[in-house]
Amino acid sequence: MEFRDYYKVLGVERAATADQIKTAYRRLARKYHPDVSKEPNAEARFKEMQEAYEVLKDPEKRAAYNQLGADWKAGEQFRPPPDWGSGFEFSGGAGRPGGARRGAGRAGRSRAGAAEDGAFHEQDFSDFFSSLFGGGTPFERAGRGAGRDHHARVAIELEEAYRGTTRTLELRRPEVKPDGSVELRTHTVRVTIPAGVTEGQLIRLAGQGEPASGAGQAGDLYLEVHIQPHRLFQLEGRDVTLTFPVAPWEAALGASVTVPTLGGTVEMHIPAGAQSGQTLRLRGRGLPGQPAGDQYVQLKVVLPPANTPQAKALYEEMRSKLDFDPRANLSR
Amino acid sequence: MVRVTHRLEAHVLGESDWIAATEICQLCRLDLGAVMELAELGVVAPREIPPGEWQIPATALPRLRVVGRLIHDLGVNVSGAALALELLEAQRELERRIRSLERLASDH
Repeated sequence: MEFRDYYKVLGVERAATADQIKTAYRRLARKYHPDVSKEPNAEARFKEMQEAYEVLKDPEKRAAYNQLGADWKAGEQFRPPPDWGSGFEFSGGAGRPGGARRGAGRAGRSRAGAAEDGAFHEQDFSDFFSSLFGGGTPFERAGRGAGRDHHARVAIELEEAYRGTTRTLELRRPEVKPDGSVELRTHTVRVTIPAGVTEGQLIRLAGQGEPASGAGQAGDLYLEVHIQPHRLFQLEGRDVTLTFPVAPWEAALGASVTVPTLGGTVEMHIPAGAQSGQTLRLRGRGLPGQPAGDQYVQLKVVLPPANTPQAKALYEEMRSKLDFDPRANLSR
Repeated sequence: MVRVTHRLEAHVLGESDWIAATEICQLCRLDLGAVMELAELGVVAPREIPPGEWQIPATALPRLRVVGRLIHDLGVNVSGAALALELLEAQRELERRIRSLERLASDH
């Protein structure tokens, strides 16, 4: 695994005070928070920062991390020293940075998803972090009764939201071996995501969160759905909007046209006298649901170029024969 | 070749689902006081069934989870997070309209 330079991630000196670390984290969190940031790779950067802050804000973890020495470079191949962990006792594991809940080590979390599935866990810290502060290390905590809920995000295409889809997820869970030690086991599960899910919607997978230790119930796994931007359709709730180019004569005279929808092409009638920017509705052609969404078709009149003698002659004829002033409103 | 050990049926939390306020607190990393403050601010519309027990529509979950993240990750208070949420939503709506107008105005 690769060494992570947490001081570099937060842009602070190794001698930085707790206040300086907090200030640096807050400043960077404001810049890279996935809910507000437009920076590229904001999500990945924010995770790095959360992990770095989780260690550097905690005096015990920071002291342990500092023991590794100042000679390591970010990205260098790393293995924890054989005596790693002796002499330290942490009050918490990989808790949520800035949050109130503590005590969940690496082994207490599920890892959801390979990159190709577009799924990842919200608090999934790196293997580097896990090797130092959780997941079979001397700092691992055991036994809290009921398991906690876990959260992951899953990215799907708009077509998948329309017709439903499946995702294969890898869930890593701790299992107690006969000798009492804890081992991480990977379970591969296939999740059926029903048709009609919308942006930000939560999917609950009962009992797939943190396992119970003792008589309690296992937690649930929640998948938060994110629908990728589409080449043609813009999504809002369950409704989709399509910008649809039409010829001037189709708009002027009316026409029957073939329109793409998420469920395939349909015939649509453009009324005579339609204008560019006008929106027509195809009821129930958005994402399925109760009620199903609609598809809005926004007309865009596209002018043919006057690049041939024949086309020029037609435009000349329109100019001479049509009583049309597009700027009539300006002269009132 | 991936070996699938389990097949899971998902339950989508949708329009017909109401969730106990205490469960909402866990899902969104909010305390009950914050949820009630968000209700006063109009961010969510809870119902009281039975008396004394509050429920929140599942459709409010995406917004509440954003509020929870803003509070925890950025250190803002409840009303600040609610304001940020509304501004973010307004920004996204404006961006959506701009994209729509750009498509109308583009050559292709």
